[in-house]
Amino acid sequence: MTIDEKLTLLTESAKYDVSCSSSGSTREENYTGLGATGKSGVCHAYSADGRCISLLKILFTNYCIYDCSYCINRSSNDLPRAAFTPREIADLTINFYKRNYIEGLFLSSGIISNEDHTMGLLLKTLQILRHEYRFNGYIHVKLIPGASQELIIATSLLADRVSSNIELPSSKSLQLLAPDKTKEKVFLPLMQAKNYALENGKRPIGMSTQMIIGATPESDWEIMRLSDSLYSKAMLKRVYYSAYIPVNNDKNLPALTTPPPLLREHRLYQADWLLRFYDFNVDEILNEEHPYLDERFDPKLAWALRNLHYFPIEVNRADKETLLRIPGFGARSVQKILHARRQKQLSTSDLIAMKISLKTARYFITVGGKQPEKMLMTYEALESKLLALPKPLPNAQPTLFDHFASISGEL
Amino acid sequence: MIWRYDSSFEGFLSAVVRSYTDKSLPDFLTRTEVEMGLFDEILDIPTNTADAYKLLNAIENQLGTKIKHKVFHTFLCDDQPFENDLLRYIRLGFKDPSLLERISHPLVYSIEEYQKRTLRTVHKMNAFSRFETLEEGTLYAQIAPPRNVLPLMGGHFKKRFQHERFIIHDLKRSTALVYDKKTLELHTIHDYEEPVRSEDEATYQHLWKRFFDHVAITQRLNPKLQRSHVPLLYREWMCEF
Repeated sequence: MTIDEKLTLLTESAKYDVSCSSSGSTREENYTGLGATGKSGVCHAYSADGRCISLLKILFTNYCIYDCSYCINRSSNDLPRAAFTPREIADLTINFYKRNYIEGLFLSSGIISNEDHTMGLLLKTLQILRHEYRFNGYIHVKLIPGASQELIIATSLLADRVSSNIELPSSKSLQLLAPDKTKEKVFLPLMQAKNYALENGKRPIGMSTQMIIGATPESDWEIMRLSDSLYSKAMLKRVYYSAYIPVNNDKNLPALTTPPPLLREHRLYQADWLLRFYDFNVDEILNEEHPYLDERFDPKLAWALRNLHYFPIEVNRADKETLLRIPGFGARSVQKILHARRQKQLSTSDLIAMKISLKTARYFITVGGKQPEKMLMTYEALESKLLALPKPLPNAQPTLFDHFASISGEL
Repeated sequence: MIWRYDSSFEGFLSAVVRSYTDKSLPDFLTRTEVEMGLFDEILDIPTNTADAYKLLNAIENQLGTKIKHKVFHTFLCDDQPFENDLLRYIRLGFKDPSLLERISHPLVYSIEEYQKRTLRTVHKMNAFSRFETLEEGTLYAQIAPPRNVLPLMGGHFKKRFQHERFIIHDLKRSTALVYDKKTLELHTIHDYEEPVRSEDEATYQHLWKRFFDHVAITQRLNPKLQRSHVPLLYREWMCEF
């Protein structure tokens, strides 16, 4: 098979992985070779689905000994198979990097022969890149659950980020659809990499995972509770959500014609942002009474509608945490307000002059004691008012992960 | 009265100095290339480099480095008629530096917006510039950004291509950033010959295009979103489009 054909096949197989972040590397700067990583990532292109292309995202191989129902590369699927050599991937990475196509490499793989053999091939690729080509750009590599601890640690020492995908939000679903995997097995390599770094006083490595949404019956509440514990207990940097795209006919999975639940995925990302940057607790956003996110409103607005007693909030006096809870205000607006009100008492026209959108916020604030819009204190009245607002199409694609500017939606 | 300067940064600063020496403000301050009405009265402001740098130093010393950058970044926003605002902004600062902190002030706000436009374009060009390898190994990129951001692009690429030679060529403004593994210089390019690409250049462009086409998920096609991230004007110089 030519490089051209391998690249086509192994890009096709890798594209369902959501992560393409190249930001937040804490590896020490090193100018002896080619490349650098920045605190904020760079999206070098956007594919036809509107997703950011930051890294050369490919599989080492799509051969796989596992038979996970949801996966296009499961062993029982009859499809063309290929494998790169470590040097082929290293050469592609270097040549793409020099042309400013990418920030680095995102290397994942099916399991070829066995776990150790596969992990060894990925490690070899990283060794060529880092040691021989002195490549200093970004590398995200999948840790192979079940591989030996030495290989896991050696690999993670050369990477900017490592990940291992849980794929399904509960042990029960894993057992049903991916009998070769368990939650413990998936997270073990991440824990090994983390513990090694802690014990040896090394930089903590960035870790992430991914969950498929909509293939199995877990509620948003269960999903977000898992994310919350992954952030707080397992110290993961990112949890990605991937709307399930049916690729296999399987009695345990949605039919092939089911469209991917993009809006649900979008709302989960918004809820995830509330956890990480807006100081919300999971139970405030979702709970037994409300196990699913409201698809009509973003989760902050939905929370506000359930907690009208909290409002209106005085923009001139409220502290940062409180301002961040106002629906329609993002991190950037709050920053502007905090900065501007040091100079003078703000009025509604000041907010407008600073191009702060009041479309949603006006129902929830007072500015210098005055309300831009009479507060409608009942849920029903507000709900119908808000539903009547013209809606921009939700941008269902997360981009520029981790970067502060992306919190506010700016480049 | 309309004042006109030679479209250089020094020329613009000279016009600001002139507003102090003449104790007067133009109705309009503009660059040479801008078309004039038939009956407009025009005063050409000569560029005085020494005065210009004196003013720039005063901006740095009295208003701070942050403001100096703001002035320069606004100046690079050359698809906008920023001159009137920038002239008045600088004068506002010398009158009362604390006013420049007030972002609800219309002048302060508009300068902030010009700067943002420029910096956003820098970010886009750092991401979207495409290099080709030349015969002797130099990395060469042709660009035509909507704003004059080339002077702000050097640091980013120097950091990542420390041990490479590279040239970034702004075809629209006939300027080029040249890095020879040691120093970074901005040149004016009067005329040039299309350089010869390396043998494997076409192969890698082809492979990149392959990757680009196949990484998209067909069930999620969203050309509108793609277009908002990569507006058409950037695509002419990106080989994957």
